[in-house]
Amino acid sequence: MEFSIYRFNPDTDSAPYMQSFTLPDDQVEPGMMLLDALLLLKEQDDSLGFRRSCQHGVCGSDGMNVNGTNGLACIMPLANLKAPVVLRPFPGMPVIRDLIVDMDNFYRQYREAEPWLINDSPEPEVERLQSPEDRDRLDGLYECILCGCCSASCPSYWWNPDRFLGPAALLQAARFIEDSRDQATEHRLERLDDAYRLYRCHGIMNCTQVCPKGLNPSKAIGDIRRTMIKRSV
Amino acid sequence: MSLLSGQRAWLLQRVTAIYAGLYVFLAIAVLLARPPADHGAWVALVTHPVVWLATVAFILLMLLHAWIGLRDVIIDYVRPVSVRLTALVAVAVAFLLLGFWALWILIEAALT
Repeated sequence: MEFSIYRFNPDTDSAPYMQSFTLPDDQVEPGMMLLDALLLLKEQDDSLGFRRSCQHGVCGSDGMNVNGTNGLACIMPLANLKAPVVLRPFPGMPVIRDLIVDMDNFYRQYREAEPWLINDSPEPEVERLQSPEDRDRLDGLYECILCGCCSASCPSYWWNPDRFLGPAALLQAARFIEDSRDQATEHRLERLDDAYRLYRCHGIMNCTQVCPKGLNPSKAIGDIRRTMIKRSV
Repeated sequence: MSLLSGQRAWLLQRVTAIYAGLYVFLAIAVLLARPPADHGAWVALVTHPVVWLATVAFILLMLLHAWIGLRDVIIDYVRPVSVRLTALVAVAVAFLLLGFWALWILIEAALT
C-alpha cells in the first residue's frame, strides 16, 4: 500500500516535501488502522514524526489530515482509505516537525472559553446535584477529546485563529452554558458577544463533518446563539 | 453588546433579509399584476405613501444588510489592518453615497 507523507524538519529542511512510503502487502492485516500502518512505516524510517498515545480514539493526540480530511489515525480503518494515502499535518496550524503541529493557540482558545464550572455558592457536603434531565443536556458536549480535528478544518479558524475561538472551544463554552450548576451563564454569553469569538462562525459545518467522536460543534454554536437571543429579548 | 457587532449584527442581518425578501416578493407580484403603463403610472405607484415608505425602508435595511455582510467578508479575509480599514471605509462611503442617491431619487419623485 502506497503512502505519501508530508515531511519537514526545521533543523535540516529548507522547505517541506512529500515523501513516498510503501507498506508491503504482507504487513497489511484485516482490521488494521492507519496508526498501525504509520507505526510500521516508522520502522522503515524512524525519523518520521507523529504524535500518538492511547491508540483507541480517546487521547486525541494523533489527529492529522488524511486524504484531505482531518481525523484520528488510530480509529481510521486502513481498508477505507484510497491509496496512495496522503498524510499531512493539520491545515492552518504551525508545523513543528512532519505531522506534529503546534497546538498552543488551540489550547489558548480553549482556555478563553473558561472550561470550568463557575459556582460561588457554598460547596455542598457531597456534590452538586443535577436532575437527570439537566444532566442529559450535557450529552454531545462533554465528550470532546480536544484532538483539534474540528478547529483545524474550520476556514474561519484558519483565517482568524488568534481571535475566533474555533469550534472545539465553542463546544466547551456551550457545555458550561448548558450546565445547570454553572452560575456564570451571563458572563459567558457576554464574553462571546463580539465580532470575533463566536460570530466568525458562518455555519460551514466542516467541524461537524470531521469530528471523530461524532459530536456537533455547529449545533452547539447555534444553541449558544439561541440562548443569547432568548436572554436579550 | 456593542453597537453593531456580535449578536446584534447577526440578528439584524437576518431580520433585514426577511424584510428584503418580502419586499422583493411583493414588488414582483405587484408589478406582474398591475404593470405601470407609462411614466406617470410609475411615479404614481412609487409615490404612493405605503410604497414610498416601504421602499425607503427597503433601501436602508438592504444597505445595513449588505454592510454587515461585506464587513464580515472583510474581517474574515483581509488581515493587514491598514488594508482592512481602507476596504471598510471604501465600502462605507460607497454605501452612504448609494443610500443618499437612492433616497434623493425617491424624495424627488415624491416632490414632483
